[in-house]
Amino acid sequence: MSVESIIGAWVATGLTLFIFSFLYRDNPLFKLAEHLYVGVSVGYTIVKTYDTVLVHLIWKPIVENHEWTLLIPVFIGMLMLARYVPKVSWLSRYAFAFIVGVGAGLAIPRTISSFILKQVEDTVRPLVALVPGEGAVFTWDLLNPASGVNTIIILIGVTSVLFYFFFSVEHTGPGKAVARTGIFFLMIAFGAAFGYTVMARMSLLIGRLTDLIGYADGSYGRPTLWLLLLTVGALVLLSRRVKSEPPPER
Amino acid sequence: MSLAERMLKIDRRIIFLIIGLCTLLPLLYPVGLPIKISPEVRAVYDYIESMPEGSVFLLSLDFDPSSKPELYPQAVALLHHAFRKNLRVVAMTLWVSGTGLADQIIAQVARETGKEDTKDYVFLGWSPGGTAVIINMGQNLYTTFPTDYHGRPTKGLPVLDGVNSLRDVDYAVSLGAGNPGVEAWYVFGKDKYKFEMGGGCTGVMAPGLYPLLRSGQINGLIGGLRGAAEYESLIGRKGQAVAGMDAQSATHMAIIVLVMLCNLFYFALRRKQQAS
Repeated sequence: MSVESIIGAWVATGLTLFIFSFLYRDNPLFKLAEHLYVGVSVGYTIVKTYDTVLVHLIWKPIVENHEWTLLIPVFIGMLMLARYVPKVSWLSRYAFAFIVGVGAGLAIPRTISSFILKQVEDTVRPLVALVPGEGAVFTWDLLNPASGVNTIIILIGVTSVLFYFFFSVEHTGPGKAVARTGIFFLMIAFGAAFGYTVMARMSLLIGRLTDLIGYADGSYGRPTLWLLLLTVGALVLLSRRVKSEPPPER
Repeated sequence: MSLAERMLKIDRRIIFLIIGLCTLLPLLYPVGLPIKISPEVRAVYDYIESMPEGSVFLLSLDFDPSSKPELYPQAVALLHHAFRKNLRVVAMTLWVSGTGLADQIIAQVARETGKEDTKDYVFLGWSPGGTAVIINMGQNLYTTFPTDYHGRPTKGLPVLDGVNSLRDVDYAVSLGAGNPGVEAWYVFGKDKYKFEMGGGCTGVMAPGLYPLLRSGQINGLIGGLRGAAEYESLIGRKGQAVAGMDAQSATHMAIIVLVMLCNLFYFALRRKQQAS
């Protein structure tokens, strides 16, 4: 086992246990791990961005390969920094205009095509399928996403939910029934989303516990056991200190 | 105070402890509950299985360490499958915070399967621009990634022989934990440059991607740790995800029981209050 792996195991185990200690109560160990997480992730992102963008995509191509055209995007990017100089801050608008214009131009047609047209096309599928020799066939198979019965369910779901969010008409009489149907569909969707969220959160817990079990191995020096004892001990000490301290004077 | 009142005011740390034990015990003493393969996971497997040797497989690892428990097993399983089929693997990431993890995953699986860097696979790393990177890759892969993650020029790498843009990719899978991820790859990649693609995602994202699956915009979807376990079962290499499935089932069962009990106590208390 390499020294880096052992150090990594101790750091990972300690930080996991410190974060988990929040489940008991807020404490300095949790704060330490939380601040380290934020600091390290921001530091990592800055270093990677500097190395990839400034060094490999700008500096080296310009200086080593003499790709002078790259100076144009560099200049537009530099205009953004003009915001920090009040007298010339208006220059940054050109950079923002360029980004907004290009971004919107790229995103709007593609988003309409992918999320509106394709989804509308899928919502209004034909109810019957033409099968050679059998003619028009309506399928009742609920497990087949493309079956006729599922097409009807999707159509009812989409129209009733859209009607529920249509507030220009009062939801009374037949409209109330349609809106209620829309609520049922929404509740099912929320339930499915919540179920998946629970599954995802439990997966994260499983991932951390799997690592903690792995790091309880003797080859790593059993960091899980030692650091668990340390964390519990620290929590007990902190708890006693809080109890013994007199309440602050008001 | 009645039982219902006491139970509804129970210390939340007791619930944490129950969930913790329900997760920990099955991990220590697995029972091996059966895993049913869903059609959406099988679709990804079947497509890769049908690809001829030497086909170009693009794997975009669009996640960072915070989603590792769900997406790491998916990435490992997909890479094992692709390397076993002798596909040319082109890996990359759209998440700057995930570059180190992605490199570690690819290097680890390549080492396990005896694959050679730049000949059998390449890790392009990260390039700034988010979704714009996908559009640039559709036009010219070499201007988007002039060098790979290790600084070697991408032009002339044996693994990229005949690959100029996304149009030359035979199959792409994005393992996404957010944006940019599967949706971005569909909108700016597949829809524009016409290659087949599948997706892998965290459990939280899966319900939002099912409409893309049903409409055929993506051909398959691996959702969360459960999807990873299914894929591991399909390739016959049981790993971290399969090991976690017993714990997943136990915690789900515990949560269902807790939800039912909470409702039971709530209605019992309400009835008592109405009666008094």
